[in-house]
Amino acid sequence: MNALSVERIFKQYGDKTAVNGISFDVAPGEIYGLLGANGAGKTTTMRMVLGLIYPDSGTIRYEGKSYGKEQLQGLGYLPEERGLYPKVKVSDQIIYLAQLRGMSRRDADQNLRYWLERFGVPEYYGKKVEELSKGNQQKIQFIAAVIHRPRIVIMDEAFSGLDPVNVELLKSTVKELRDSGSSILFSTHRMEHVEELCRNITILHRSNPVLQGNLKAIKKRFPRERIILGTEDDVKGLEKVGGVMNVKRHEYGYELLINDEAAGRPVLELALAQTNVNRFEIMEPTLNEIFIKTVGESHE
Amino acid sequence: MNSSFWTVVGFTAKNKIRGKAFLITTLIIAVIMSIAINLPYIISQFSGEGKPTAVGYLDSNIEKAKSNLFTHTRIAAMLNDYYAKQEKPELKLVPIPDAGSAEANEKALKQAVADDEIQGYIEFSPGKESGFPAITYKSESLMESKVSASLSAALQVVKMEAVIGGGGLSEEVKALLTKPIELESVQISTVEGAGSIGQGKTKEQQGMDFGTVYVIIIMLFMAIMISGQMIASEITAEKSSRVMEILITSVAPLKAMFGKIFGMFLVVLLQMAIYIVVIVINMTLPQNADKLGELGIKLSDVDPVLLTYSLVFFLTGYFLFATLFAAVGSIVSRTEDLGQAVMPITMLSLAGFYICIFGGMNNPGSMLMKVCSFIPFFSPYAMVSRLGLSDPPLWQVWLSILILLATILAAGWLSAKIYRAGVLMYGKKPSLKELGKAMRAYK
Repeated sequence: MNALSVERIFKQYGDKTAVNGISFDVAPGEIYGLLGANGAGKTTTMRMVLGLIYPDSGTIRYEGKSYGKEQLQGLGYLPEERGLYPKVKVSDQIIYLAQLRGMSRRDADQNLRYWLERFGVPEYYGKKVEELSKGNQQKIQFIAAVIHRPRIVIMDEAFSGLDPVNVELLKSTVKELRDSGSSILFSTHRMEHVEELCRNITILHRSNPVLQGNLKAIKKRFPRERIILGTEDDVKGLEKVGGVMNVKRHEYGYELLINDEAAGRPVLELALAQTNVNRFEIMEPTLNEIFIKTVGESHE
Repeated sequence: MNSSFWTVVGFTAKNKIRGKAFLITTLIIAVIMSIAINLPYIISQFSGEGKPTAVGYLDSNIEKAKSNLFTHTRIAAMLNDYYAKQEKPELKLVPIPDAGSAEANEKALKQAVADDEIQGYIEFSPGKESGFPAITYKSESLMESKVSASLSAALQVVKMEAVIGGGGLSEEVKALLTKPIELESVQISTVEGAGSIGQGKTKEQQGMDFGTVYVIIIMLFMAIMISGQMIASEITAEKSSRVMEILITSVAPLKAMFGKIFGMFLVVLLQMAIYIVVIVINMTLPQNADKLGELGIKLSDVDPVLLTYSLVFFLTGYFLFATLFAAVGSIVSRTEDLGQAVMPITMLSLAGFYICIFGGMNNPGSMLMKVCSFIPFFSPYAMVSRLGLSDPPLWQVWLSILILLATILAAGWLSAKIYRAGVLMYGKKPSLKELGKAMRAYK
């Protein structure tokens, strides 16, 4: 059974449609990516999943059941903006939030200490949130979202405002959560995070789901149209090979744009005939390219 | 189910009480209260109250030479005798030597006032008809009612004694003549009512009722003002720090809101208790206890029935206003806008308070008070004043309580809806239409 299943939900604000009939399923132990430009409807979708706002139509099911108090306690939420009491001690407010989600005080305290240790910041236990840096506040926010071992975690721009070291730290934690069976609904602008973490994605554009499905399958659907060629010496006549649209000269060699994957073989042969080849790859389209293509296309 | 409600209550109260702001305000107000209570004593220590006030008069040589019954100097001497006989002399008359001319005399008198030798001085001018001169008391302060009242009473006695002194009246007759007339007003009730008047209460007990009403009304007003603002600003702060989003995904909005209100109520109760303890301690200090004894204030005189009703109205009034403050706090997104937004509610509370303090205390049976005691926002103030100071029928009291309870339920329900809808509306203050729409969305 799917941990979370969203079926054709609509939400309108006045005469503006915020979410237009999006459906998706998140399996247990899966990270689901929700992508889209600013204002595409990601946050609205997440808020509906959280029960903060109700969809005008459509259903959301949590492990097959509809929204209720029990489901509420099985949810964890990492909001895009900080949602902590600035003047309250970390321990006080995290334990408070955990208690509200049905945890006992002792368990909450134990878990908090574990997580602080895990993030290498046990000294923050008695500090006020306003005394911490933005990145460290984000860590506390993360703890607040997962301390009660939720079955479904909703993360809105989880890694914004973090330095690369902390991004890696949180990323590995997210993967651990996934491996322990939690389902994660994940939104971001950073495509490389999605490629690394998500199995299935939905790209939202202006409230509409424009591209949806398994990440690998989606990538297969888009033609491979880039060749990276690393050579020792210059190669002449690459632009004359059939199917090659454009040749860019880089320090390591060449980047070629092609309109036909069949152009790969003649390109490699031409290069080998002239010099040694260090690297040759017909590149899969990056999610970034797919995103820009999809969102850009529907612009027209 | 209830555990999360109490979690919210505990968190709210604990954070507020542990905050520096709470400690500092409580301390400052406690100090101000102590000073206020001790002020009469402190002033008396400085001004040397208990010592008679010095009043000057011109020791006129011309007057001394006269042989009338009421020469100026003789009147002064008689006044001095009168005051000297008092247990604690209120005044004493100080002769200022004659300087010769009228101008020089006036200058000398004024100089004596300036030198703090005397507080003021009396001047004589010929009386209209009788042989007794007209007297003017001149001092630097504008309203020396205490001194002039004392002088007036003393002069009356002195004059009478002097006039009848030679008439051979016995001491008994004299005492009868000077004894003041006794007039007491007693309120009665014509129907059996819930009020505390009309059960043959002594004046002291009535005074205590008045005091109880006064204290309850002021406490209600203070509780609403202090905690109403706190509730509203806490909710706005939660909203602007976006904790709210996490909060309502963890706990039912109704519980979150009432948990906050109740937590704040506990804080206010604690604060009030501290103030009451401070007041009681100060009042029992020896120097203040005397004064209270003089005023006839005894805690055992508080009417338990009145107290019970007052507490009911205190609680209902508090929760009614608290829910409204919570609703307003959840509409506003920024703390800066809060002051303006809570203004109508503050005004409502202020209006109820003023109507009772200025309109009701003097005339608790007026139509204004009767009407106000059924209007939910005014009734906690109005009905308490009526209960303490007049005799409203029992059914009116209960009707008033019922109306209040119904209003609280309605306001609570509405506030919870506004809270639920308002907490996710950011940006500018929503219009009524937008709010209504949002509220309909959360069935």
